[in-house]
Amino acid sequence: MLSAYRVLDLTTERGLLCGQILGDLGADVIKVEPPGGSPARRLGPFYQDQPHPDRSLLWWAYNRNKRGITLDLTSPAGKEIFLRLVQSAHFLVESDNPGAMAQLGLGYDTLAALNPGLIYISISAFGQDGPKASYADSDLVILTASGPTILSGDSDRAPLRLSVPQAYLHACAEAATAAMLANHERHRSGQGQYIDVSAQQAIALATQAYILSGPYKDVEIQRMAGGIKVGPITIRLLWPAKDGYVAITYLFGTAFGHFTKRLMDWIHEEGLCSDEIQTMDWVRFGGELFAGGDAIAKFEQLKLIVEDFTKTKTKAELLHGALERTLLIAPISKLDEVVASPQLNARGYWQDVAHPELGQTFKYPGPFVKFSETPIAYRRRPPLVGEHNREIFVNELGMAEQQLTTLQQHGVI
Amino acid sequence: MNNSLPLSDVKILDLMWVMAGPAGTRVLADYGATLVRVDSQRRIDTARTLQPFLNRKAGPDNSALFQNLNAGKYGLAIDMTKEAGREVIRDLVRWADVVTESFSPRAMKGWGLDYESLRKIKPDIIMISSCLMGQTGPWARFAGFGNLAAAISGFFNLVSWADRPPAGPFSAYTDYVSPRFTAISILAALEHRRRTGQGQYIDQSQAEASLHFLGPALLDYTVNGRVQSGRGNRDLDIAPHGIYPALGEDRWLALAAPTEEQWRSLCLIMNKPELLDDPRFTTRDARLAHQDPLDEIISGWTRTQDRFVAEDLLQSRGVSAGAVRSLYEMEHDPQLQHRKHFVQLEHNTLGPVTVEGSRFRMSRTPAVVERSAPTWGRDNQYVLEQILGYNEEKITELIVAEALE
Repeated sequence: MLSAYRVLDLTTERGLLCGQILGDLGADVIKVEPPGGSPARRLGPFYQDQPHPDRSLLWWAYNRNKRGITLDLTSPAGKEIFLRLVQSAHFLVESDNPGAMAQLGLGYDTLAALNPGLIYISISAFGQDGPKASYADSDLVILTASGPTILSGDSDRAPLRLSVPQAYLHACAEAATAAMLANHERHRSGQGQYIDVSAQQAIALATQAYILSGPYKDVEIQRMAGGIKVGPITIRLLWPAKDGYVAITYLFGTAFGHFTKRLMDWIHEEGLCSDEIQTMDWVRFGGELFAGGDAIAKFEQLKLIVEDFTKTKTKAELLHGALERTLLIAPISKLDEVVASPQLNARGYWQDVAHPELGQTFKYPGPFVKFSETPIAYRRRPPLVGEHNREIFVNELGMAEQQLTTLQQHGVI
Repeated sequence: MNNSLPLSDVKILDLMWVMAGPAGTRVLADYGATLVRVDSQRRIDTARTLQPFLNRKAGPDNSALFQNLNAGKYGLAIDMTKEAGREVIRDLVRWADVVTESFSPRAMKGWGLDYESLRKIKPDIIMISSCLMGQTGPWARFAGFGNLAAAISGFFNLVSWADRPPAGPFSAYTDYVSPRFTAISILAALEHRRRTGQGQYIDQSQAEASLHFLGPALLDYTVNGRVQSGRGNRDLDIAPHGIYPALGEDRWLALAAPTEEQWRSLCLIMNKPELLDDPRFTTRDARLAHQDPLDEIISGWTRTQDRFVAEDLLQSRGVSAGAVRSLYEMEHDPQLQHRKHFVQLEHNTLGPVTVEGSRFRMSRTPAVVERSAPTWGRDNQYVLEQILGYNEEKITELIVAEALE
């Protein structure tokens, strides 16, 4: 879909996913790394736990469908070569500290003067300006600055993040959206533009609008292990099964009541709740619960009934029941169970990607959507350090072999 | 309409509801697309029933979530179970470039509005279906919300202390990840149609899109056979890395030292220069191997510190740290204020309401967020008269057929 476009990907570990999305959509993405390779290649986990720049699984996860070159952008020779690449580029993505690119003489204004159609995307923790723009960043600092993390974790311990860093991934996906918007506009105006993505603002979406609790003057909900506290009500999402845990949306009212009715019917069939409970009005109970009073104690009693039921079943039995009866139940899956998922396998999700440098083929997470006419193809495995130097510098930019050798000797490439 | 916005030429019939779908199309409205959102009181959008509510009162327009996801969209209230209602939908398909929907698989087919039917009406239509598990496969009919997709896709289990059952991410995590891929896919399909004239169908499984956010951990299993699980707040590559107790009740400070320089600064700020020579902490690998004593030492210091004072102090010396803010404090965060993250809109029945602004800035074509989310049927007349060109007689017929709400 984007095969007509070239992307220069200068990102550090913060911004790798953006270019990969554009690459999945068919763009020619050139990953530009400092000589020796991107610092992201030093981040784990590693293939067979061998720290090696071509064996970082973080690198593998976010650099497929890219070509890779090395170039020292701080040297005049490196910069000159880079500016030639800029002339033929449609997008540039970077994720350095705000102001760093301008300091290198590679800020938007400079590059736009060379190539007015260039769409230049900066991904940063807090955005390019403002009181926190120059903050030292980390996944945790971003997550805690805009909401979602205060809402997760056990109530008697610190708020808890997801163990796989997330904040910049949200920013990268926003960045790819912005790139596509700017591209659509460029067809009319012929002009590129500058895009400034804030990870803090991106990840705020993960509060499900609870970041607006203040302006709406609603209660501040509180974190709770396996659920959430809404004032005096504790909404529970985690339930024990025979062989692990399941998630159940056990709620009431117009949106959830009919699901809960079917669950209570099943529990009743198994003889684990009374007729009186089975025949409760689950739509109305939602309003009663939020009105407070006796309903809150009733809710506590109901949750124990559900728990006594889920404990008698395996995760698979509960999932089967959910599919048969249209219930809001899902197993809490570990990653091996995710990879073995009958659903993902039936849809052919996992993609085999060959790594000839290791003589092996590995399963990668598959296309992010299924396009009927232009299916996403995994054309290239993530590049080795400088893998496409000759292809791009010599074959495409017309550099003499000898010059390539000289530049390599001087550490520019 | 602002003709200079990127999508001022794009028309979308939006049949999405609840969270993931509408979040994916909100950004398209921010950047100029004309979006007609179909809503029905016979099938109330769940987002209208979810907190937070304005002044703690439930009500179909009082949900902050609903307001936030649907600002900038036109609202048409129509009964799709009636043939007259579906005829209006088919006219909107003729008008639209893109049709979006996020029902359970088969619902659209039941209404005769599946892709095969729509392309007969409009051969180059782009249609995207977004649901939890995708349109095909044994779990296609799996119903539910993003919290269940997060459970079944491994996210829930990765938010956990090593010694406790999983705590899970907040609420419906895949609903916060998949919308970006919805928007990107629509824009990519528009690009393909612009070049070739060809429309297409997009089958989005919210779980499949979201799994890209677990890429390194999934590869750790498929490549190394290692099943990662929750590590508290610890990191594979950085130590110290945690959320530490600060002065006061339930007050916390996020702190990480990703570089040697930051580690050195941290030790000096804590007034513990001796740690710099402690063999347990002299290298990153040593610190990763001794996180228990390390966290204890750091907690001993953070407990005595006001979280905001500590944030300023640590950041002034280049150490990655931040006070954990409460929900109410978010509104006053100086950075979010500087970025104009909170936008006030005038709502036709509620008065002023607040929504989040665009999550990025475009230099030449900044987002325009100025119209609040529709009340039921707010834009019926505009859509039927201005967009579809219906005359009074035709509109009366719809009213008589009870297709309009």
